Amino acid sequence: MTDVYLVGVGGQGIITASRMIGQAALSAGKHVLLSETHGMAQRGGSVVCTARIGDLHSPLIPDGRADVILSFELLETLRALPKASRSTLVISSSERIVPVSVSTKRLKYPSVQDVRAAVEMVTEKLVIVDAPRLALQAGVPMSSNIVMVGALAGTGALGLARKHFEAALEAVIPRKIPENLRAFSAGFDSVKGLAENL
Amino acid sequence: MRTVLDPAPGTRILMLGNEAIARAALEAGVGVATTYPGTPASEIGDALAQVAGRAGIYFEYSTNEMVATEVAIGAAVSGVRALVSMKHVGLNVAADALLTFAYTGTKGGFVLVTADDPSCHSSQNEQDNRYYSLLGGLPLLEPSSPQECYEMTKEGFELSERLELPVLLRTTTRVSHVRGPVVVGELRAAPGKRGFVKDPGRFVTVPAVARERHLVLLKKLAEAEELAEASRFNRMDRAGSGGKRGIVTASAAYDYAMDAAEELGLPADVLKLGFSHPLPSKKVIDFLRSHDPVLVLEELEPIIETSIRALAQRTDTRVRILGKAEGLLPRSHELDQGIVERAMAEAFGLEQRPRPAAGTPPADLPVRPPVLCAGCPHSATYFAVNKATNRKAIFASDIGCYTLGVSPPYSTADLLVCMGSSIGTAGGLAKVNEQPVIAFIGDSTFFHAGIPGLINAVHQRHRFLLVILDNRTTAMTGHQPHPGSAHGPPGSEVVPISIEDLVKGCGVKWLRVVDPYDVKLTTETVKEALRQDQLAVIIARRECALIAPRDEHGAIIKKHYIDQEACKKCRTCVDRFQCPAIFSIDNVQSIDEALCAGCGVCAQVCPYGAIKGRER
Repeated sequence: MTDVYLVGVGGQGIITASRMIGQAALSAGKHVLLSETHGMAQRGGSVVCTARIGDLHSPLIPDGRADVILSFELLETLRALPKASRSTLVISSSERIVPVSVSTKRLKYPSVQDVRAAVEMVTEKLVIVDAPRLALQAGVPMSSNIVMVGALAGTGALGLARKHFEAALEAVIPRKIPENLRAFSAGFDSVKGLAENL
Repeated sequence: MRTVLDPAPGTRILMLGNEAIARAALEAGVGVATTYPGTPASEIGDALAQVAGRAGIYFEYSTNEMVATEVAIGAAVSGVRALVSMKHVGLNVAADALLTFAYTGTKGGFVLVTADDPSCHSSQNEQDNRYYSLLGGLPLLEPSSPQECYEMTKEGFELSERLELPVLLRTTTRVSHVRGPVVVGELRAAPGKRGFVKDPGRFVTVPAVARERHLVLLKKLAEAEELAEASRFNRMDRAGSGGKRGIVTASAAYDYAMDAAEELGLPADVLKLGFSHPLPSKKVIDFLRSHDPVLVLEELEPIIETSIRALAQRTDTRVRILGKAEGLLPRSHELDQGIVERAMAEAFGLEQRPRPAAGTPPADLPVRPPVLCAGCPHSATYFAVNKATNRKAIFASDIGCYTLGVSPPYSTADLLVCMGSSIGTAGGLAKVNEQPVIAFIGDSTFFHAGIPGLINAVHQRHRFLLVILDNRTTAMTGHQPHPGSAHGPPGSEVVPISIEDLVKGCGVKWLRVVDPYDVKLTTETVKEALRQDQLAVIIARRECALIAPRDEHGAIIKKHYIDQEACKKCRTCVDRFQCPAIFSIDNVQSIDEALCAGCGVCAQVCPYGAIKGRER
C-alpha cells in the first residue's frame, strides 16, 4: 500500500499528474483510488490530490501517513507537512508561485533553505527538483508536472516499473508524446543516485 | 479515455464517480439527460454533453435545476428514460417538481442524482439530501465508489420502472470526485420517440387526484422496502474475521469504516446500506439482534442512526446502539479515516497504536485561497464600483466566480444566501437602509434565478443598482453554456437570449452596458446609476479571461510591466486592486509576465501611469 499526497496550486496540472500515477498503478495490476480538488482550484488556490495504491476503500490520507508527498510548489510543500512523518519521502518542485496574500499582507515567502529546514524537522527524506528548469531544458516548458511524475518514478517509491509510467503518460495525455516522454525522462534522471538514500 | 463512450465493454477503466454515472446512464438506454452545473455534480452533465450527439441522446444544460427536472419529467412520463443531475442545493430548487412527481410517478425510468458537499468545499451549506427521500417518499441509492456509481445508476433505472417512481441517487464529493476502477458494459442504442398516453387522473395533480396518488405512493413505498430487503446493495461485509461487534454504515462512511477497521485490527461485521430508503427493516433488525454493540457510522445527519433507534424500540430489541447521540461522530463536515478510527476505538474500547508524529507547518504560513484570475473582468468591475462608491454601499452578492469579491481588497459582498438572492435581498435591504444598495449577479445566475427577483423589484419600485456581471459563460463550474450562449453542447442548436431584452422586458427603464476593461467608463456609469431615483441596471460585459480568444503569445491585448522609476509605491495595484500576476515583495511591486493576461486594467488602476503595456 502506498499513499501519495499531491499538492500545488490550481493550474499546475496536478490532477493530470495524479491520473498518470493512477493509470500506472492500474496497468501494473494494482487497485488504486484517486481524489481531487475541483472547481475552486483553477482560481489559483491550493490544490490537494491523493493517489492511494493498494487494497483501500477510502480516498483521503490521514495525518502523518503519506508515504510520499509530491509537491509542485514550495509553499504548498510546507502546507502539506501534517501529512508527513519521519518515514515520508518528500519530493518537492522548487517552483514558486507567490500567493496574493504575500503581496497584500506583506508576508514573507519562504526560501528554499527555509523549506528544507522545515521539512527536515519532520523527515530526512527530501528531494528538491527544479522542475521548471528541467521542463525548459527538455524543450517542453509547460510540462513541469510530467517532470515531477518522472522524478517520482525515478525514486522507485511506488514500486512500479518505468514502462507503466510511460504507458500511463501516453494514455492520459495522448498528444505531444515524444516531448512529454523527454520531460518525464528529465525528471526520472534527476533523482538517479538518490534512490538508494531514500 | 477521452469520452465515456470510448471504453470497450468488459474493460476496467479509471473513472470519476461522475463519469461512471454518465457511462451507466448510456448503457441503461437513457434518452434524455438534463442538468444545471454545480460542484460536485458538474462532470456528469459535461461527460454526457460531450457525447450526446454521437450517442443519439438528447442533452441540455437547462436554465436551472427545476427546469432540468421538469424537462426530464416530460420525457419520463412519455416512457423515455431520463437522468437529471445537480448539486445538493440544486435539489432545493428542483424539489417542487420532484416531490409531486413522486405522486404521479413515472413510466420511463427516472434517476435524479444529487451530489452532496459535506464540508462545503464549494457550496453555501452542507445540507444532507437524504432527507429528501424521507420527505418525498423516494427510493434512495447511495454508492460508495465509482464502481457502485456505475452499478447503482443502471439498476436505478430498473428500480424506477419497477416501482414507477423517481429514484434518488445520492453521492458526495468523496464518491463523485474519486477516480477508481470501473468495469463497464455494453452501450445501448438511444430510444426513439414515444407516444404519450393520456391519463389525467394520474398526471394532473388537482386535489382529488393528489389525495389518491398519495395513497398509491405509500403502497409503492411498502413494495420498495421489500425490494430493499432483497437488494444486493444492502449487504453484510466483514472487517477482519468479523464478529459480534457490528457497524452499520453507508456512502463514503463505509469506505472510511473499512480502512479504519483494517488499521485498528478490528474484527467486526459491517452492514453496508446502499439502497437505504426505505430502510430494509428486517435486515436491520436481524443485524441488531445478532450484534452488540452496534456502531452507526454516517456522515452529517444521524438519519440511519435515528431510524435504527426507533426500529429497535418498536421491535423491543435490546442492543447498545452507538453513534452521534453519544458524541462519537460529528453532525458537521466530512469524515475521514482518522475521525472514524477514533470513533471506533472509543465505541469498542480499542487501543489506537502509536504512530510516528505528523509534521506541522510553520506558523503564519501565507494562505492561498482561490482568487479572481489574471484578466478577470470582475476584478475591474469591483475596483470601479469601490472607486465610485468610496466603499459606502451595501453589497448583495450571488453565486459564481464573482463571489470571490467578498475578500479584500474588494470586499464587495455583504449578503449571500442562494442562487439569485442578490436581487431579492437587495430589495429588502434597500427598503430599510439609508445607504445605497448594489446587487451583483452573474449572467448564468441571472438566467437561473434572477428574473423573478428583477420583475418584483421593478413592480414593487425597489430602488437599488443591479450589476449583471456578464462574462459570457458559467465559469466557476467549468465554462458550461447558458441561455445567453450562442452555442450549446456539441451537435446541438440553440437560440441565444439577450440579457438586455430580458432586462427591458422586466420593465427596467434605466439600463447601461459597459466594458469592465474601461475602468473610467465603468466608474462613471456606476456613479450615474446611483444618482437615479429608480432601479438601475448595468450590464458589465467582458468575456471570462480563461476562455477569451488569445493570440499566439497567450495575451488578450498586450503584456504589462511596472516601470520602477515611475512607481511611487502607493500600492494601489496590490492594496486596492488584486491580480495574481502583480506581486509585492519588500515593497517592490512587479508583474509576472508569464501570468499576465494582458487586459490592461492595471495600467488604468495605477494613479501615476507607472504600469505600461509592452510593445512586442
